[in-house]
Amino acid sequence: MGIVGDVLDEGLEGLDHNFLTGNIEELVKWARARSCWPATFGLACCAIEMMATGSGHYDMARFGMEVFRASPRQADLMIVAGRVSQKMAPVLRQVYDQMMEPKWVISMGVCASSGGMFNNYAIVQGVDQVVPVDVYAPGCPPGPETLLHAIITLHGKIESGELTKRRAATGAGAGLIVEQRDGQASPLQIGR
Amino acid sequence: MTDTQPETEASVTIVVDGQEVAARPGELLIDACERAGTYIPRFCYHERMKPVGMCRMCLVEVDTGRGMGLQPSCMIPVAEGMTVDTQSEITKKAQDGILEFLLINHPLDCPVCDKGGECPLQDQTMAYGPGESRFVEEKRHYEKPIPISDTVFLDRERCILCDRCTRFAKEVAGDPLIHFQGRGNQTEVNTFPDEPFSSYFSGNTVQICPVGALTAKPYRFKARPWDLEETESTSVADAVGSRITVQSSRNQVLRYMGVDSDPVNWGWLSDKERFSFEAFNSDERITEPMARSGGDLEPVSWGAAIAAVGDALKNTDPSRLGIIGGARLTNESQFAFTKLAKGVLGTDNVDAQLGDGLPAELVLGLPRATIDQACAPGGTIILMGPDPKETLGALFLRLKHAAVEDGATIIEVTPHRTGLGQYAAHHLHPLPGETAALAAALVAETPALDTAGVSADAITAARAAIAGDGPVTVILGRASVAESAAVIADAALSLTSIPGVRFLSALSRSNVHGALDMGMSPGLLPGRSTLASGTANWPNTPSTAGMSTAQMLQAAADGSLDTILLLGADPISDFPDTDLAERALANATVIAVDLFETASTDHADAILPAAAPQEADGSFTNLEGRVTKISRKVTPPGTARPDWIIAAELAMAAGGDLGIESLDDVWAQIAAVSPAHAGIDTASLDANQRDGVVVEGTLDLPAASGVSPAVADAYAYRLVVSRRMYDAGTILANSPSSAHLASGTALHLHPVDFDALGLDRGAEVTVSSATGSVSLPVEPSGDVPRGVAAVPANQGDIVVGTLIAVGDVATNVRVERGDS
Amino acid sequence: MGYLQGFAVTFKKLTEDRVTTEYPEQKRPKADRLHGRHVLNRYEDGMEKCIGCELCAGVCPANCIYVRGKDNPDGDPVSPGERYGFIYEINYLRCIHCDMCVEACPTEAITESKLFEFSFTNRADAIYTKNELLVDDDGMPQHLPWEDWRPGEDEMTSGWMRATASSGNAAYEGKVAWSGELGYGVRAPEIGQSQDAPPADTSDSGAH
Repeated sequence: MGIVGDVLDEGLEGLDHNFLTGNIEELVKWARARSCWPATFGLACCAIEMMATGSGHYDMARFGMEVFRASPRQADLMIVAGRVSQKMAPVLRQVYDQMMEPKWVISMGVCASSGGMFNNYAIVQGVDQVVPVDVYAPGCPPGPETLLHAIITLHGKIESGELTKRRAATGAGAGLIVEQRDGQASPLQIGR
Repeated sequence: MTDTQPETEASVTIVVDGQEVAARPGELLIDACERAGTYIPRFCYHERMKPVGMCRMCLVEVDTGRGMGLQPSCMIPVAEGMTVDTQSEITKKAQDGILEFLLINHPLDCPVCDKGGECPLQDQTMAYGPGESRFVEEKRHYEKPIPISDTVFLDRERCILCDRCTRFAKEVAGDPLIHFQGRGNQTEVNTFPDEPFSSYFSGNTVQICPVGALTAKPYRFKARPWDLEETESTSVADAVGSRITVQSSRNQVLRYMGVDSDPVNWGWLSDKERFSFEAFNSDERITEPMARSGGDLEPVSWGAAIAAVGDALKNTDPSRLGIIGGARLTNESQFAFTKLAKGVLGTDNVDAQLGDGLPAELVLGLPRATIDQACAPGGTIILMGPDPKETLGALFLRLKHAAVEDGATIIEVTPHRTGLGQYAAHHLHPLPGETAALAAALVAETPALDTAGVSADAITAARAAIAGDGPVTVILGRASVAESAAVIADAALSLTSIPGVRFLSALSRSNVHGALDMGMSPGLLPGRSTLASGTANWPNTPSTAGMSTAQMLQAAADGSLDTILLLGADPISDFPDTDLAERALANATVIAVDLFETASTDHADAILPAAAPQEADGSFTNLEGRVTKISRKVTPPGTARPDWIIAAELAMAAGGDLGIESLDDVWAQIAAVSPAHAGIDTASLDANQRDGVVVEGTLDLPAASGVSPAVADAYAYRLVVSRRMYDAGTILANSPSSAHLASGTALHLHPVDFDALGLDRGAEVTVSSATGSVSLPVEPSGDVPRGVAAVPANQGDIVVGTLIAVGDVATNVRVERGDS
Repeated sequence: MGYLQGFAVTFKKLTEDRVTTEYPEQKRPKADRLHGRHVLNRYEDGMEKCIGCELCAGVCPANCIYVRGKDNPDGDPVSPGERYGFIYEINYLRCIHCDMCVEACPTEAITESKLFEFSFTNRADAIYTKNELLVDDDGMPQHLPWEDWRPGEDEMTSGWMRATASSGNAAYEGKVAWSGELGYGVRAPEIGQSQDAPPADTSDSGAH
């Protein structure tokens, strides 16, 4: 296995044994973290705080994130801001599917993260049932600082490569591992 | 306390807050007001106990013809023209003042108190109280909770001296072990020194305490009322079928509370019914199917286990296949297993009783009484069975009430004195094995002679009581597993000649009456019908009656029975002849459907985990034949399943089909084959949630067998092995708060017999019968007649089952000094 | 020429002071009544204030608190009295920081800090247990590595408490508060309880 084989198998992650390509990898991660364009997915009150985060007082442009894209094709990050109703869930999934890899998800606020105080039939009890979530921001709603904290956490994870590794390993971002149960009856003899 | 129409009976008219209300003569004012929709606050008054007027909370303004005045409404019966004002300024001021006084010494530690949130004192202070206290002095202080028994804690600071617990202990339970002590401000409730409140009914005091003074160990600090969810269900701890509420939090059952079911338990529970649910939460529960591979039981998947067990059942010749147990199951599961055995597998070797019961035809054939009929005022109750205080706690409370309050006459026909003995008018203690002779003497026309160790005078007196005006009810069961069931059957058949006599079965093993109704007995089919008379149109129904548990175990020990399916049964602990059970299970392929690993499942080749009663819906048939609902409250641990689903899947794996996919399917099939259960389904059980539906139907009585015991030599004692409330049974052994309450095995002898041994109390003696011998401590007991040696069954320390040979009419033992 | 007026606004703003707060380098000061992540307080002798009464769990509209009480161990009590909070968990992916738990608490065991900058990459990390919530030996909230504490933020932990007593009686000062085993005493008046009462002396409340 040479470098080419590693790259074919593992993508950029396969390059970290070489100081030159290692630095290129760092550069790519840095670039990804510094231009993480969000797709708007403001669903409820959290979206107001998300807008506030983009405005002058908090100014997400400092992180290269001021462009909220209306088209998922142009977005890297989906900030799910607000409660996701059962009817909205397929739409959310479709938007996520239309985003280009690499892509990340922040679940903003308790409603998106777990249903929050809306523990009822209408609300998806955690958006990670629909899409893989990378960072959860608590709060009802999270203030701009909390969202920025979540974004900085996400940047750190992007730069460290942790998220890409984990998602490659589990196929998900939420740390959820679903095991396939063996439903086949194996031959078993009892008695004499 | 049923709501009969007051307008059809004589009634008195009273005026409650300006409204004319019809009340029953003799009714207490507090009850009349409550029925009229006016709740009067109270602490000490409890509708199942006598009023005392301790708390004064129910003071209302009453005009009895002498002008308005404050009177405690729980102490005055209604009278024509009585005028009551529950809303007047004076009444309100009285309520306000009483609450302020009650709270003077109450610590108000509601946040740490288990009662907080469901506390009558808290609720009524909010509703009627002053809001603020003017009392700034130091409150009364006592040591915080003191254990007054193994399960109950007492916090005297919180006590408001309402007299409920002490009245319960004295009036209802008959164990006056707690009482008021001291005078004035120093009055407190406490036990007597060195005498704990070791009542079988102590848990009821916790339930009726209107403050948090009494708390129970199993629930202490476990949860708060607002995070409990509850559902009404039926207790399966014994055969009384007491109504309970099952309360859980976060998918864990935390307590059972008694529900006031008028025909059954009146709200009371024995501690076994109340606290033994802990076992169902135990970590010892079997959570996944297991099969023996290479000597050890290994977890396997359900698919593999069902396929393997199905194969084992299918490949065994029906005559070499037996099913033992099933009393733990719900009616629906019992039907499913009966259909599996008698409809699919084609074997009639099915017995829900473990050799400690009575012939099914006898129990189903005798005219049956309800508890209300047995406890009718002025009736005569013949107790010919186990000690109800030990085995059927809630029934004991009803019988005691009948004897003490309603003038019922109790005739004790038991091998030794029972817990009901002190309320009995006649004490006849026949020698074990000779009960039938005494019963025959009781109904004979000829002058009485000394019979079975009972004097002629006693028999004559008892005859007079039986011949009285009231209805006669026989509480029928096995007082001793060392005595053959045939003796009791013969005795019962003799007593059927009493005019109008009815029988109340005292078989105590959980849902055993449901098992008999569902045909889990050799020769029977569901609905109190026999193989010959039954209408079940099943493909493989056998035509001849199969083997009983004793016969099956004997056959397995002899090698003529290959496969035994144990349905929640532990024959090694519960079958009278321990030795035979061990040999049988060691010799056969054993498949167990159970909640726990037991001595018997140690021999199992496969174990299928079943759901406990609180984990599956179903129904229960109590000793009257009353069917009530069992409700699911939590999910089973692991992959455990309800028994009827296991039966349906086993039928599939064995190449049949029960046609059962839901409980409604089961009831549709029961209705099709059982005229006795006509009209019962899940909907009618829901509609009669509290009181259930009594199944009617009867069988032809079996013939008397005419057995008589072997004549023993003059040195022999007749052995009595009787059940206690607390023993080493699987459920109790896995309930942390009840497990250590088993008394331990000791031999009880009459003091004269004891003195003849010349030993100290507790000294070891050797007890030997024809089949074995064991070493036991010996103690004198005034309850045991001369010539009888009494031992509690299944206490876990010493196995007395080796003394008993199944089939013997009575067991003669010799008692010798341990050192000789 | 109207667009020139528009450009004029833009150029004027260029020369004004910037309003942006350079988070994460700087933080804007938090409002007095901001509800942040909870802390479980201790008495000055180190005993836990929580008695495991579950009132907070009962009142919580989001069902995010899980409490279980237990008998205090003999000889080594965790809290004054019979009972202590054996399990105390808050799920921050459900908590809406409404402060109802703080109002319900009879012992002021649970209060909310001003810390609101935290996020998780795993659902399980969002469940704070007693280990994370309990204040340290100095009565200060623990600074957990994934939280963004700044100097001074941990000093406002019980800065605001509801002015009325749990009975709804605003004139609470001078009355014997709930005591039980927790000792008798007169509660100091709190800010807002009455106009002529002196301001609250927070130093003797035991809370930080």
